[in-house]
Order: sequence, then structure tokens, then C-alpha cells
Amino acid sequence: MNNMWILNMGFVALLIGVGLYCLLTMRNAVKLLIGIEVIAKGVTLALVAGGFARNSLMLAQCLVITVIVVDVAVIATALALIININRHTKSLDVRKLTKLKG
Amino acid sequence: MLHLSLLIGLVAFSILAVLIRDLLKSAISLAVASVFLAVLFFEMNAVYAGVFEVSVVAGLITVLFITAIALTRGDGDVVESRRHLAVFPLFFLALAVIDILVMKRLLGRIPAMVNPESGTFADVLWNQRTFDLVGQIGAIFAGVLAVLALFRRGEKDAGHESPRGDAPLAGGQPPAGDAALMGRQPHTGDAALMGRQPQGGSHE
Repeated sequence: MNNMWILNMGFVALLIGVGLYCLLTMRNAVKLLIGIEVIAKGVTLALVAGGFARNSLMLAQCLVITVIVVDVAVIATALALIININRHTKSLDVRKLTKLKG
Repeated sequence: MLHLSLLIGLVAFSILAVLIRDLLKSAISLAVASVFLAVLFFEMNAVYAGVFEVSVVAGLITVLFITAIALTRGDGDVVESRRHLAVFPLFFLALAVIDILVMKRLLGRIPAMVNPESGTFADVLWNQRTFDLVGQIGAIFAGVLAVLALFRRGEKDAGHESPRGDAPLAGGQPPAGDAALMGRQPHTGDAALMGRQPQGGSHE
């Protein structure tokens, strides 16, 4: 049980690292959202692995469901924002969003 | 062994989703990673979380991604920096080494076990985490309102997109020729109507 928790946490760190790399280096707005999704996967895996190790799986599942619902709301809003931005700039490149730059 | 292979599959498809240039393939890779995560949840006896992961994340979010990619396709090609893609294997290797070292140190510090939970999942969800549900409802409404606000058509856009022929349907003034056509039958008795029109006008 303990070794399994360590194994899960190791892969959680990998997922969050990959997501952060995507957020820091990619220019495509949709790719940035995919990076956020990868980080969310790491977080849900951490919650379930923690619940499994602590023998409180019910509570962990409730938290996972909350995370997923919030994640859906965030993704839907962000995708709508991206579609609107694409209509104005004709591009998905986040470097072109410089209208508010001082 | 199954657990380890599922974890490796999850990370591999997540990396593919990040690195593949085609956005459609990227979204599909993300969905496959979600399926791997859901199977992991089932394997850890987290059935409800697994069902949510498959239906909402692998289903709904993938559909949202594909819709957004389809709506922005054609003029949304972005060239990613080749340097960042080339550096990724080094970054991942360094991350894995640091990860292994940190996890070795954590081996002695395991989270303490708590007493086994009593009741069912529904009891925990509805009785202990009631405010979470309120927050979830709030998040859903906030998302819906945000999407509605972002796709709201302004008056300027609506007026600009309306063609001239739609004016009578929208309640505006129809063109003069159209009004004459709408007032009578075009074929039968046209000549008779034209002949009687001056008389009707004199009565009034």
C-alpha cells in the first residue's frame, strides 16, 4: 500500500511537470488548455491515491467530482474565449494578444 | 504490474497530447489519457470517480475541444518553437531523476491511516460535503453565464449581418416593390385589378 502511494505520487509529479512545461513553452492557446487539463489529471490522481492510501476513498471521490466539475466550467469558458479571440485576431498565437500591453 | 503499465500509459499519452502538432490528434490523445486514468480509478476501487472521468473528461471535454478546434481551424495554425520541443526529453529526464530522488526520501513519511469510513458514497456526498455540491452548482452556472456572455451578439453585429431581404420578417419597412407584390395575388386577375384601381381611389 505504501509503495503504491509513492509510485502514484511519482507519476503525479511527472504529470504536473509535463503540464507546467506545456504552459511555459507553448504558444498555441488550445495547447495551453491541454496543459491545464494534464495538470488537472495529476491533481485528480493525487486525490484518489491519497484517499486509497488513507483508507478514505469516499471523501477523495467527492473531491475528485468537485475538481472535475470546476474543470469543465473553466475549460468551457476558456474555449469560448479562445473562439472569440480567434475571430478578432485570426490566430491562436498567444503572442499576438498584445492589445493591453503598455 | 497492471497499475504501473496504466500509469505509464497515462503519462505517455499526456506527453503525446502536449507534443503533437495537430490539435485534433492532441485532443484525442488527451481523451485516451483520460481513459487510462479512469481505468486506474476503477482499479483503485474509486468507481464513481472513474465513471465521472470517462463520461465528463474523456467525453464532454473532448467534444468541447474538438468543437473549438473545428471552429478555429484554417486560420489558427501556430508554429511552435523547435527549440522547446527538442529540449523536452532533457527536461523530462531531469524531472524524472529529481522525482525519483524526492520520492525515495518520502518513503518513510507515509500518510497516516484513518478509521474506515462508514456509510455509502451517497451519505458522504450529500451529508458531509453538502457545501461542495452548492459550490459545484455555482461553478456550473458561472460557466454557462460566461459562455452565454462570450457568444452574445452585439447590436452592431446583428444589424450588419442582416440581409436586405430579411427586413419584412424583422418588422422593418419593406422595399416598395416587395410591398406591392405582398398585397395581392401575382397571377390571377392582375389586369382587372389594374383596371379597377383608379375607381377605388376615386371613391375614397
